[in-house]
Amino acid sequence: MITWMRQHTFALGRALKHIFKPRSGFLLNMIVVAIALALPFAGLTLLENIRPLSQQLAVEPEISIFLTMETPRDKAVALANDIRQIVADKNIKLEFVPREKALSNLNEKSGITDVVVTLGANPLPDSYILKLPGLQDTAEAARVDTIATQLKAVTGVDTVQVDSTWVKRLAALLHVFQVALLFLALTLGVVVVAVVFNTIRLQVMTQREEIEVSRIVGASDSFICRPFYYSGALLGLSSGAVALGVVALALHPLNDAIGEFARLYASEFRLVPLSVEATATLLALSAALGLAGALMSVQRHLARIR
Amino acid sequence: MIEFQQVTKRYSTRAAALADANLSIAKGELIFLSGPSGAGKSTLLKLIAAIERPTSGNVLVNGQNIGKLTASGLPYLRRNLGLIMQQQKLLHDRDILANVMLPLIVCGETRADAEKRARAALDKVGLLDKANVEPMSLSGGEQQRASIARAIVNRPQIILADEPTANLDRGNANKVLDALKAFHGVGVTCVISTHDEPVLATASRVIHLDQGRILDEQQAIKERA
Repeated sequence: MITWMRQHTFALGRALKHIFKPRSGFLLNMIVVAIALALPFAGLTLLENIRPLSQQLAVEPEISIFLTMETPRDKAVALANDIRQIVADKNIKLEFVPREKALSNLNEKSGITDVVVTLGANPLPDSYILKLPGLQDTAEAARVDTIATQLKAVTGVDTVQVDSTWVKRLAALLHVFQVALLFLALTLGVVVVAVVFNTIRLQVMTQREEIEVSRIVGASDSFICRPFYYSGALLGLSSGAVALGVVALALHPLNDAIGEFARLYASEFRLVPLSVEATATLLALSAALGLAGALMSVQRHLARIR
Repeated sequence: MIEFQQVTKRYSTRAAALADANLSIAKGELIFLSGPSGAGKSTLLKLIAAIERPTSGNVLVNGQNIGKLTASGLPYLRRNLGLIMQQQKLLHDRDILANVMLPLIVCGETRADAEKRARAALDKVGLLDKANVEPMSLSGGEQQRASIARAIVNRPQIILADEPTANLDRGNANKVLDALKAFHGVGVTCVISTHDEPVLATASRVIHLDQGRILDEQQAIKERA
């Protein structure tokens, strides 16, 4: 065990020595790999930031029921029973929003008080907000649309708005984005493996004499290969770290622009870097890609030297 | 210790580099291989070191058939051999000490132990004061002695030397041969190929090769002063 660790330490030392050797080309290769990794990492960061929005809203679909302006208040309040009968579900949450409260909310959240004042009278109708229990499958999602149609037919109801519609669209869009990201990641993963493959190939060629001498003095194949594996893994790992750093840095100017846009919608939405777990996973994945490239390269080129 | 049984070695379709060779070398022997260039001396040494595999026949080292050795078994064979080549093959990206330490590091020795033993090996070949210099700074003879230090640092049972005195002046050639003879003196089996006539004249056993064939074996025990 101690000998094994000693040999790994030696291999790591050899790999680091090669990395820091002048004109080893490691830095340039690292930049190339980092650029290839930065694109899928940026996409993943964006996806991870947007996904909670769609998931959170899609789980509990919300239906806004706007009544006609002519509906008297007592009739409007009484409509709650009709709505409950249509939905026929004890787990729903139904909230009556009087037009006065709706206006007050609008003033508070949108900050367009001046505009509202110029209208003179309250332009908002009484409304209900109906929150349905979480959707488990597409059949339940279709039921939401049926309920909305039935509610629209109730006397006194003007408009029914299923608030989860845009969320469904966003989720569908995110799915497309997710698939595109997967293909991008796979393609660029191949690019990373190819770059590492070539880097290690050159390293094997330049260290040909050392390999031959090591063989003559009794080095095993593992002993000879290990420094190259470490070089590949370190190239992947350091490139992954640089790529994640670049993505994290890019979030600052992006957040400035997004923050301004989100404030218009009274939102505090900001892009945040990936979690520690996700970051560690991506770093491990980058190292694994580097290792894969090194493994392929070493097996192929050492066989030639042999 | 080393046995060749009807060994033939062909490189591609050319004539045999070694043909029907039968040879037996006992433990602790000092043997010289002689013959013109292309006679098969290097091939014979490479077959013992398992750098080449026989086309037919068997090469046995310590009873082990080299031709049937697996890739994973090779390193263990070579750790018992000290190989010295005409081109010293010292690594130029490290100093002499690191070059001599390599066979020990390969075997998993600690750095401290490897350094201690490498210094002792350099001392035996008279190069301790050059431990920390680059190989390029050494003369041809010194480089050859450094490669001997690398070959013996692992205390091998067999030393194989391929033209170790080629390209060296008489003084340096004698130093190299003295070093090799010193290891033979402590029981190490030495197989040395050479063109060097004065050396062959004093040898106890010489195997002559020509065009891949062992011609005759001149085995004369000579008393030395």
